[in-house]
Amino acid sequence: MKIRKKLKISQTARLEILKYFVSALLVMVIGAIIILSQGNSPLEALNAMIIGSVGSPSAIGTTIRWATPSIITGIAAVIAFKSGIWNCGIEGQMYFGAFAAAIAGSAITLPRFLHIPVCLIIGGLAGMAFAFIPAILKLKLNVNELICTLMLNYAANLFTEYLVFKYMGFDASELADAIATPDMHSTARLSVIIPKTSATTAFFIAIGIAVVIYLLYRYTVKGYELKQVGENLRFSKYGGINYKRTFIMIFLLSGFISGVCGGTEMTGTFGKFRPAFATNLGWDGVMIASIAKNNPLAVIFISIIWGMLKAGSFQMERTTSTNRLVVMVLQSVFVLLVAIDYEALFKHFKEKRQIRMLRIQKEEV
Amino acid sequence: MEDIILEARHICKYFGALTANDDVSLSVRQGTVHSIIGENGAGKSTLMNIISGIYKPNGGEILVKGKHVVFRNPNDATKCGIGMVHQEFMLFQELTVLENLMMGFETKKLGGFLNKKQAAKDIQEIAEKYGFSIPLDKKVSELPVSLLQQVEIVKVLYKGAEIIILDEPTSVLTPQGIEGLFQAIRYLTKQGKTVILITHKLKEVMEISDYITVLKNGVVTGNLTPDETDEHKLANLMVGRQVLFNTQKHEKKIAEPILEIDNLTAFGSDGTEKVKHVSFSVRKGEILGIAGVAGSGQGELIEAIFGLRNPESGTITYKGENITTTSPRRKREKKIGYVPQDRISTGCNVHANLIENCIMGYHVAHKFKTPWLLGKEEASLFTRSVVENYQVKVQDIHNKIGDLSGGNIQKTIVGREFSQNNDLLIIEDPTRGIDVGAIEFIWQKIIDIAQEGVSVLLVSHELGEVMELSDRILVMYNGEIAANLENTPELDEKTIGLYMLGGKT
Repeated sequence: MKIRKKLKISQTARLEILKYFVSALLVMVIGAIIILSQGNSPLEALNAMIIGSVGSPSAIGTTIRWATPSIITGIAAVIAFKSGIWNCGIEGQMYFGAFAAAIAGSAITLPRFLHIPVCLIIGGLAGMAFAFIPAILKLKLNVNELICTLMLNYAANLFTEYLVFKYMGFDASELADAIATPDMHSTARLSVIIPKTSATTAFFIAIGIAVVIYLLYRYTVKGYELKQVGENLRFSKYGGINYKRTFIMIFLLSGFISGVCGGTEMTGTFGKFRPAFATNLGWDGVMIASIAKNNPLAVIFISIIWGMLKAGSFQMERTTSTNRLVVMVLQSVFVLLVAIDYEALFKHFKEKRQIRMLRIQKEEV
Repeated sequence: MEDIILEARHICKYFGALTANDDVSLSVRQGTVHSIIGENGAGKSTLMNIISGIYKPNGGEILVKGKHVVFRNPNDATKCGIGMVHQEFMLFQELTVLENLMMGFETKKLGGFLNKKQAAKDIQEIAEKYGFSIPLDKKVSELPVSLLQQVEIVKVLYKGAEIIILDEPTSVLTPQGIEGLFQAIRYLTKQGKTVILITHKLKEVMEISDYITVLKNGVVTGNLTPDETDEHKLANLMVGRQVLFNTQKHEKKIAEPILEIDNLTAFGSDGTEKVKHVSFSVRKGEILGIAGVAGSGQGELIEAIFGLRNPESGTITYKGENITTTSPRRKREKKIGYVPQDRISTGCNVHANLIENCIMGYHVAHKFKTPWLLGKEEASLFTRSVVENYQVKVQDIHNKIGDLSGGNIQKTIVGREFSQNNDLLIIEDPTRGIDVGAIEFIWQKIIDIAQEGVSVLLVSHELGEVMELSDRILVMYNGEIAANLENTPELDEKTIGLYMLGGKT
């Protein structure tokens, strides 16, 4: 009996891996077709992507640079989705976090070992404060959090832009590039791990966050409660979980981590806040969480692949005539393919075939 | 001899590694009542779902009137004259009876408009022919349960059913309602219709059936007629051992009240008053049964007591302390346990494993060694004790609870609530839809735990269960306590049935 059970577990795991493999293969086929249809060579494009993502130290640096925010926003999304909360406002919470961290980095003077944590925590708190709005609306007025957070993203983007103007004085400059907060002190900047790239120690912070969240779900009572609330709310209420407090907590935690992501972007890559700096980083998190099936450790691996795709796509655009948008299309296709329940699909076709066979048999009789 | 109208030959059905039906053969004669009985997980429902086209068998064949048929979907089965009345009624609350009956089977006028007049005439004819009287123009939400069942039966008749499958039809009815249903069934068979009855209640099987098929673990263990057998023999065939229906009761001391409900009023989810000024008390070591037709306010009352629903007015006092508005968390901390009626959506999380399911509530009321860390060892120890003491059939406590049968899930839930040293247990329909063996087991556990001085508030829609277990019986009717009776041997079902229908005041 025991042996059979082990076999079964490994089989489900194998199926899961097979599923990712099949999806990846399908993505490649679809990608090849798209690239061909534009009159370019898929092999050339693939070659460029590989060179651009892992071909040189600087390529690896770019991969790490893009994997970092993906991990953190991915974790922010996992926390929310695992408990059944549709926080689509990660992007907005990130903007607030980034703005607050950038200000903290330029306005306060502190020794280095304090300055970076202070920036990140202030960023996290700002993201958390912004996440408090949909949380309280949902709890008190039962406002749908999906729509609410979605809309607040625009508010966050534009409001931080306004704050930048306000902070710099309205007539700061007419140059688009100069519309930004002051440069952050060097004490607030993370170290670069691969020279001449944007790969910073933020990568380790990101992995640390993912591991902490993994441990939270695996070993703590709170993590247990968060999971149960997501899987069966009625059961949780019945079992004595204070679901209102849990809801608020999920929102705030998700917002905090989104804010920290804004913080690492500032202390790591950017060094100052520019309006609309993070196109779609929050959405990457949502996509990655759904591919990773809300598993914090899987988020790390998927994010690295995500980073490779992004880094590779820049190289591809530079050296071949294929548009970078192709990669974004393929990323979305990948999400769709992973979301398919292949097992149910397979069963459906098998049953259909069975019935057809039965029919044929009957006619023969 | 009657003709064989439906035959199933060598039906096999597997769900993954689980064998639900293994070489099951069944022949049903026209104009008879054929009962299918068996434990939960014995494969009755699977067999019926195959016959009515919901599942496809992995092997075997079905013959209707001697002809091979292959069903792609339930509509194919309907066309062959097979109609199923499900345990949960499938009616639209906000539509009238007529509209419900026409659904999916609309008579149309020229231009695609509904021809309600014609449909009403046809339905009325059918209803009269088979002795039903149903108000076609009333909304479904206004009708009592027994009438709804008639509506469901008329629905399958209207769709031209020759063979009517009734899935646990008596579980929602009062004794009087059951009598009415049986009259209707007899009338139907007299008119040449065939009825297949799925039930757990052996007494009813003996009363109504012409033929009985017993299933156990997916295999047919008996094909009998009521004359050849009795309840005990049937029970034996179902569970494969002698079942004692007489639970062991001992003399016990019933002491001071532990829970007092005073003038409690609560609203239902639809905003209407469901519990109206209810007052009663539960004493230490007492089993207080609450009987009543489904929907008489029992559910709302229990939710209000456990804190899942806010009471409108009135007070709840527990051990001398006012707990009217405290949360379920506080109530668990004060040693109140609750076995909910809906074991799938409230009682457990089907996506989680047994450990996660067993420590729900325990993690609040008992806490682990380090309060914020899950004590893995303590959790599996507690889970193992539940599994062992409550005979839950499971290979590994890391398996998902959703993969267990209904009876085993129920045993797990009962075990979880009973093993936490609670002082008050609220139990709702503890044996709904589970097999005879498990029923007997859970009943004995309830009696034993009350013996130890735990107070039990038992709500059940099975009158027999309330009468078997309770020391005292409250009857709820329309949100009020219609009767408060000591459970003496003289008390009979008829009296309580009258209270349940609001007949006596």
